Amino acid sequence: MINEMTGWSEMKSLKLSRFLVLGMEFLCAALLICVPFISRWYEEISTGVGLVDGSTFVPVCVMLYICDVFAIIAVNSLRILLRNISAGEVFTETNSRMLRMISWCIVFAGVTFAVFGIWRFSFFFASFFALFLGLVMRVLKNVFEKAVEIKSENDFTI
Amino acid sequence: MAIIVNLDVMMAKRKISSNELAEKIGITAANLSVLKTGKAKAIRFSTLDKICEVLECQPGDILEHV
Repeated sequence: MINEMTGWSEMKSLKLSRFLVLGMEFLCAALLICVPFISRWYEEISTGVGLVDGSTFVPVCVMLYICDVFAIIAVNSLRILLRNISAGEVFTETNSRMLRMISWCIVFAGVTFAVFGIWRFSFFFASFFALFLGLVMRVLKNVFEKAVEIKSENDFTI
Repeated sequence: MAIIVNLDVMMAKRKISSNELAEKIGITAANLSVLKTGKAKAIRFSTLDKICEVLECQPGDILEHV
């Protein structure tokens, strides 16, 4: 369906999303290489406090590597989700599984942030937001699962 | 599920093929196959009405609870 005011269509929106997800995949892959530089830069500018004092270089490196793996898994799931939606397969078990995977990745990233909160308390905020987003994704996944069930019933009603 | 669809039995009694029945009741052969194999999760009253009309039988002749 095309919006008469903007000329924007559903297919264009999907293409934009797929393009952005592809860009995000490249960014996540690039981040793996840049982790030591980012950690060094963070150590230089960081002024926060935490339970543990001292260098944040190694903890930030570990946190970024762990979170980047979760990010790559989540973005890859998003890519599969968008590919299926583009193919017209919306309410399927696979898509439901992808949403579950994304929600768990966000929750685990939130837990990782929480652990890093030992070095810098400010990371508890990031942890809270990640856990909140993970919860929202989980609820979305539950709605999606119900939709898959309803669609299946509808498809098999003769 | 404890509901058995005896559509194939009635079809054999009336000597009617799947394609012919599907055409007469206005559903696709694929959907009729879903119904015959017991994969269907529900049946509309309108579909059941047409099947009974074409096969000249009662709903109880097609559906059985075990």
